[in-house]
Amino acid sequence: MKAAVLREIGGPFLIEDVDIDAPNAHEVLIDVKASGLCHSDLLYAQRGGIPVPIVMGHEVAGVVRAVGDAVTVFQPGDHVVGCIVRACFNCAHCRNGKPYQCEHPDAVERPADAPSRLRQGDENIAGFFSMSGFAEQMLAHENQLVRVPEDIPFDRACLLGCAVATGMGSALNTGQVRVGDTVAVFGCGGVGLNVVQGAALAGARRIIAIDPVADKRELAERFGATHTVDPLAADAVDAVIALNHGEGVDKAFEVAGRKDTFAQAVNVLGPQGIVLTVGVQRMNDPASVKIEKGVREPQHGIRGVHMGSTNPRIDLPFYAELYQQGRLNLDDLVSTRIALADINEAYANLEAGKVARAVIVFD
Amino acid sequence: MKAAVTTELGAGFRVEDIDIDDPREREVLVRVKASGLCHSDLTVSVNDYGVPMPAVFGHEIAGVVEAIGPDVTEFVVGDHVVASLVHSCFECDRCRAGKPWQCTDPNKWARTPDDPAKLSRGGERIEDFQGIGGFAEYSLVSENQLVKIPEEVPFDAASVLGCGVVTGAGAAINSADVSVGDTVAVFGCGGVGLNVIQGARLAGAKTIIAIDLAVEKFELARKFGATHVVNPADGDTVEQIRALTGGVGVDKAFEVIGLNLTVRQALESLAMGGQVYVVGLQRPDSTFEFEFDPDLMVGQNTIQGVHMGTSSIKDDIAMFAQFYLQGRFNLDDLVSKHIGLEEIDEAYVELKTGKTARSVVVFD
Repeated sequence: MKAAVLREIGGPFLIEDVDIDAPNAHEVLIDVKASGLCHSDLLYAQRGGIPVPIVMGHEVAGVVRAVGDAVTVFQPGDHVVGCIVRACFNCAHCRNGKPYQCEHPDAVERPADAPSRLRQGDENIAGFFSMSGFAEQMLAHENQLVRVPEDIPFDRACLLGCAVATGMGSALNTGQVRVGDTVAVFGCGGVGLNVVQGAALAGARRIIAIDPVADKRELAERFGATHTVDPLAADAVDAVIALNHGEGVDKAFEVAGRKDTFAQAVNVLGPQGIVLTVGVQRMNDPASVKIEKGVREPQHGIRGVHMGSTNPRIDLPFYAELYQQGRLNLDDLVSTRIALADINEAYANLEAGKVARAVIVFD
Repeated sequence: MKAAVTTELGAGFRVEDIDIDDPREREVLVRVKASGLCHSDLTVSVNDYGVPMPAVFGHEIAGVVEAIGPDVTEFVVGDHVVASLVHSCFECDRCRAGKPWQCTDPNKWARTPDDPAKLSRGGERIEDFQGIGGFAEYSLVSENQLVKIPEEVPFDAASVLGCGVVTGAGAAINSADVSVGDTVAVFGCGGVGLNVIQGARLAGAKTIIAIDLAVEKFELARKFGATHVVNPADGDTVEQIRALTGGVGVDKAFEVIGLNLTVRQALESLAMGGQVYVVGLQRPDSTFEFEFDPDLMVGQNTIQGVHMGTSSIKDDIAMFAQFYLQGRFNLDDLVSKHIGLEEIDEAYVELKTGKTARSVVVFD
């Protein structure tokens, strides 16, 4: 089958023929129908920290083609999406409704001595977050898949497993946004827009979206931002506080993955406000906070967010149902649909800040 | 009246005769019966935290109401009271929403520089620290900073309620919301740390690991509820904590010393999803460095600042006083020594050597 293969860090994705194994006991083989281009794939592809060669892509929607003989939850023909949360469903964290804190995420991987899911001749090819969505087919552990209603188009559904889960989850789960909260969101890309709409769903009183790109600010308003700020036109901190009636906010989400926006996020907090760090930051590049004046005395919190604290089997069907009811915007998350062969160009556009989300669609 | 006055940063606490005004509006004149020596008074009398000088420090007082201002409604002469440095106006939106620790107008009831000074010496203004100025025979305090306590609570035990207790026990119960079954670590077993420990115990924590360099504090730490003690001199602190928790780490780690190093150790001792509570006063200009991914996001951890135990003093102080009378909360062992007003300098030297939890100035 055709897949986009990364052979060196910093290199392009190459469209190649790749062999995919049959599902073992707990695996599911799916025909990929849509695969979202998340910024995280690109960051790892450029910075490293992953094995090569590798097929990336982790925002996947498709149809089940075959299941392993221990799989009971899925059957051929089911519409499914993949989710970045890897869980064993056996440990204490999983039992307590926190699969995103699973102690044995490797449970969804094949053992090291087993044949690789993806190969090219004798060469093993790695997956990313145990998935490999930039391909015509994907072989995944059943724990990473969630069934979705068939009336949700694949090119919307694919976003549920990462951008939506991360963004909505950051607001609803990790951030615990409540009715009446005031919220600031730094960065209105695919994840940031979902933070905005999660906060809106939760009844936040003010949702102030900050992004230097005018198109993204406009999109943020469509997703529920009550106010927007152009950080290039005015001091972002002053602007946010002015829009928040002279007070700091309850929750500030850093979704851009930058140190300067993180510092701004801390500075827009009201008493007992918290910063949720969502965006993937550069490694070996520490941030610095004023621990007494910026954290302790005002009782501020800084909370690291991991995959929106998502419980896939609970959260994803909930988001799917909201979409069916017209209460969750997925349609405007997809800026452009492309073919697998266009992946490099689409990522170049993403880097230039031009798009919310490009999605590879397969016939 | 007699008061211990600090004339400039680092000058110590000298007993002098000074004047105290009569209570105006909502102020209450308290005859001080006990006044605790908090480490913070020392810190802010030596480092520049912006306190005007000369000043009377001290903020942990218990005493009897001697006189009340014309607008006072909560207290009558003779009431036994405790003061707290937590200021809440009880009229702003945050206070009305039930979060007085987020008060946006904390100085509402304070005198302004244009008003006559509460404390003075030959016409020169003297600052009453935190609106209390507790190292003195009398204290003029706004009623929003006072809490009535049962007369059965001895004054010396009561004095620690207003700061050390609400700060420490509040950190565990309010700020951290310690629940039954939690595992916690407490870095620093001084006056506040001991209250974090007993607050965690009261809240039902399963494992309470107390960390301190001064091994002589371990006995008290155990008495207040620590299930384990860790001496950093015995080996890597974080490794020791992990070994005591089956390699998993703790749900909640409280840093009650005020050092960058121990904040980092606290962060590294956390279990998945755990939180560090920064309780100890850090230097005003101090910064903390961290990496997002390995330090915070992979472990899904939180660094949370704590001020005065996120307390609602009118409710919390009254509650802890009740727990004390029930025998479920230890105040007696927080008071290591009774001293006179003139012995404050000496007592602070002893505090720095780690020999005492809390010295308390007692007045007849």
